[in-house]
Amino acid sequence: MAPSLTRREALGGALAAAALASCGGGDPPPSTGPKPGSGAALLGSLLALERAAIAAFGDCAEHLDGHARENVHAIEAQERGHARRLEGMIRGLGGEPPPGRAAEEYARSFPRIENAADALSFAEDLKEREVRAYLEALTELPSLELRTQASRICADEGTHLGAIRVLRGLPAAQGPFVTGAL
Amino acid sequence: MAQPSDRELLEDLLAREHRLLSAYEAALRRDAIDPALGAMLRDHEREHVRALEQTLAGRARNPRAGVAPPELNAALESRESFGRYAIGLEDDAVAAYTEAAASIGRPGLRQPLGSIMCCGAAHVVALRQSLGSRSFVP
Repeated sequence: MAPSLTRREALGGALAAAALASCGGGDPPPSTGPKPGSGAALLGSLLALERAAIAAFGDCAEHLDGHARENVHAIEAQERGHARRLEGMIRGLGGEPPPGRAAEEYARSFPRIENAADALSFAEDLKEREVRAYLEALTELPSLELRTQASRICADEGTHLGAIRVLRGLPAAQGPFVTGAL
Repeated sequence: MAQPSDRELLEDLLAREHRLLSAYEAALRRDAIDPALGAMLRDHEREHVRALEQTLAGRARNPRAGVAPPELNAALESRESFGRYAIGLEDDAVAAYTEAAASIGRPGLRQPLGSIMCCGAAHVVALRQSLGSRSFVP
C-alpha cells in the first residue's frame, strides 16, 4: 500500500517547501560576508520561514472575516516586523539577507484553502512550525544577543499560536509545554 | 552587573511559577476565575513547577518564600480584576523566560524554557479572551 500523508504532514511539508524554495533553488546564496558559525545561515532559514508565513497569512486572511481576520492581519503585521529584525541581525553579522520571492510564488506551494476552517488549520500548522524553528534556534545560535532576539520573536510566536487556537475554538495552550519538556 | 548563574535563573523562574500557581489556586477557591480555565492554568503551572524542581534536583532555596503578594487579595474581588492581575503575572513570567531561555548556560535547557515561555504567552491569550477581548495579538 502506498504511504499516505496526514493533513498535518502535508501542510507542514508545503511550508517547508516554500521556505526552502525561498532560500535555495534559483536564489543567490545569502552572502559570503559572515563567518561560518556566526548564525547567519540559521537566521537566513528563519527569515525564509517568516517570509513564507507572511505570504501564507495573507492567503489565510482572505478566507476569514470579523475578528478572526483582524487577528490574522495583526499576526501578519508582526511577522513583517520579525522579518525586518532578522534582516537587521543578518546585516549585523556582515551578511546580506536573501531577497525572498513574490507572494504568488509562495502561494503555489500552499495547500488549497477553501474556507475559514481550512485557513485556521493551516495557520495553526504554520505557527507550530515557526515556534519549533525558533526553539531550535535558541539551542543553536552562538551569541547571547542573537538568542535574545530569537527568544523575543519566539514569545510572539507563542502568542500567535495561542490566538489561532482560540480562533479555532481550542484552548489557547495545547499543554504545559508547547513543544518538548524539561 | 554579573550575569546570574543557571541556578539563580531557574530559582527565579520557579518562584514566579509558585506565584502563578498560588494565584490560580486562590482564584479557583474564591471563584475569581472561570473554573475550567482556572483548572487548566493551575495544572500547567503545576507541571512547570514540577519540571523546574526536577531540573534543580532539590537544590532550590525556599522558593515558596514571598509568595502571596498583597495585590492578590485585591485582585480576587472579581473575575475581571483577577484576569488583569493574572495577565500581569503571566506577562512578567514570559519576559523572565524570554531572557532565561537566551542566557542560561546549559544549551539543553534553552528549548524547554522557551517551550514554557510559549505556554505562558498562550495563557495571556486565554486570559484576554476570558476578559471578553477579541483582539489577542497586542
